[in-house]
Amino acid sequence: MKRSTLSRITPIAIVAGLLASLAVGAPSYNTNHTAPRAVFLSLPTDLPTPQVSLTARQDPSGNWVLQLDTQAFQFVELCVPDADALPIGHAHIIRDGVKIAAAYQPVIDIGRLPPGQHRITAILRGQDHRALLGADGLISTEIVIDVPRLGNQI
Amino acid sequence: MLSIRTPRAAIRTASISFGAITFATSAHAHEAWLLTPDEIVALAMEPIPAIFTSYLVLGLAAVIGCIATMAALFVEEQVQPIEARLEPTLQTAAFAVGPLVLRLGLAIMLALAATGGLPRHGTAMWTQPTLLVPDMQLSLVPGWDLLVPLQIGIAILLAAGLFTRVIGAVLIGVVGIGLAVFGSKFMAYAPHFATPALVLILVGSGPWALDQIIGLSTRLTPRPAIRQAIWRLAQILVGGGFVYLAVVYKLTQPTLLIAILQHGEMPTFGLSYPVIALIMTGVEIICGALLIAGRLIRPVSLVIIGAITFLAVVLGETPLFHANLYGTMLIFALAGRTLPASISGPTEFRRVTA
Repeated sequence: MKRSTLSRITPIAIVAGLLASLAVGAPSYNTNHTAPRAVFLSLPTDLPTPQVSLTARQDPSGNWVLQLDTQAFQFVELCVPDADALPIGHAHIIRDGVKIAAAYQPVIDIGRLPPGQHRITAILRGQDHRALLGADGLISTEIVIDVPRLGNQI
Repeated sequence: MLSIRTPRAAIRTASISFGAITFATSAHAHEAWLLTPDEIVALAMEPIPAIFTSYLVLGLAAVIGCIATMAALFVEEQVQPIEARLEPTLQTAAFAVGPLVLRLGLAIMLALAATGGLPRHGTAMWTQPTLLVPDMQLSLVPGWDLLVPLQIGIAILLAAGLFTRVIGAVLIGVVGIGLAVFGSKFMAYAPHFATPALVLILVGSGPWALDQIIGLSTRLTPRPAIRQAIWRLAQILVGGGFVYLAVVYKLTQPTLLIAILQHGEMPTFGLSYPVIALIMTGVEIICGALLIAGRLIRPVSLVIIGAITFLAVVLGETPLFHANLYGTMLIFALAGRTLPASISGPTEFRRVTA
C-alpha cells in the first residue's frame, strides 16, 4: 500500500519539482542573457570592442581580394571546441547572404564574381566559430561590389 | 500567413508541426548551423520573448505541465492490464529486433563520423572526421586522431555483433574521452551515447550476430539485480539528457529555437512562435522527467522516435544524426519499465516462452 502510494507520488514530485525550479530560475537567467550562447560569444564589457572594415580590389587574374582592417582584434588560424570570450579568431565572409569563406588572415581571395551587384559581409568570429558580440551587437562590416558585364570595377 | 504550394510542401509543414509540437529532441546544438548568415544577424538583435522572462507565465506553464503529467499517469494505470498482457510479446521483440537496430545504427553513425561522412550543415562530406556527432570535429582537438581508427574498429565489431558487451563498455570510455577532450559542449551528447552503450551491455548482440555463432552471447551477462539497476540507470541517463537539452538549448536560449522554427517555416496554427517554443520545451522536460522517474517509458519512447524521424525529414537532416537514439528508444518502447527478471537474451527467451 505504502509502496503503491510512493510509486504514484514520486513521478509527480519529480516533474513538479523540476518544473517549479525552472519556472523560478529561468526568468531571471533569461533577463540577463539575451543572445543565444550556442551561436554568439559575448565579449566582456571591460575590453575594447573590436572594429572591422572591408575593402576589395581585383587582382590581375580577375579574382577579387578582400582586405579586412581590424582594431582590437587578432586573427588566428587555430580553432578550438569551446573558445574563451576574447577578441581573437577569424572572419566569416558572406556573399549575398551565403557564406563563401572563412578568413583566418586579413587578406583573402574570394575568386571571380559574376556580373552584377554583390553584397559582401564580414562578421568577426571567435575561435569556436561563434559570432562575436560587442557592446553594440554583431561586429561586422559590409560593402557592395558592382561587377559590370564588360570589365570589372568596384 | 502560411502558403503551402505543393503536396511536398504540405507534407513538410504537416511533418514539422507534428514533430515540433510533440517533441523537440532534434533541436540540438548542431542545428544552429542550419541558420543562414542573415538569420544569424537577425538573431543577434532578437530580444527574449516576454513569456520566457515572466515568472507568472512560466509558473502557470509549470502548473499545466504537472496537471498533464498527472493525467498521463492516470491513463497509464488504466491501461496497465492491457500492457501486462502484451508484455511477453513486446519483450521478446525487444531482444530480437532491438539489439540489431541499435548495433547497426551505432555502427553506421560511428563509421560515418570517423570518416567525415556525417558533417555538420555547411561542411563538405568526407573532409572533417568527428567524434560521434557532426559538431565534435577532431581537427579542433589536435593529437586525438587515434579516435578515427578506434571509432572504425568499434563500428566494425558492432556491425558484426562481435564482443558486443565489451564494445558497450568501450563506448562508455569513448564518451568519457569526449567529455575530457571537448569539455562541456559534449554534455549535450554524452548521455545519449552512454545510454546506448549501457543498453548494449544489458541486451548483448541479439540474434544475427557473431556473438551468437561463437557462443559469446551469454558471456558477461550482468546478474539480474545489476541488470535492473543498469536498466534504471539507462532510463535516468537518457531522460536526464533530454532535460539537459531542453533547459540548456531551449528554455535558456529560446530565440535560437524560435529562429530554427522560423527557418523550418513551421505553421503556427494561430499560436505565436514563442508559445510553440515554450510548449516544445515543456513537453521535452516532462518526457525527460518521466524517463528519469521510470514511468510511461513506452509512450515517451514512441513519441521520441516519431519526433526525431519527422524533424530529421523536415529539417533536411539525415536520420543518421540520431541513429544512436533509434535503437535505444526502440528497445525502451518494447521492453518497457522493467526487464524480465530471469531472461537475459533471445536464446533464453525462446526457451522460457516455448
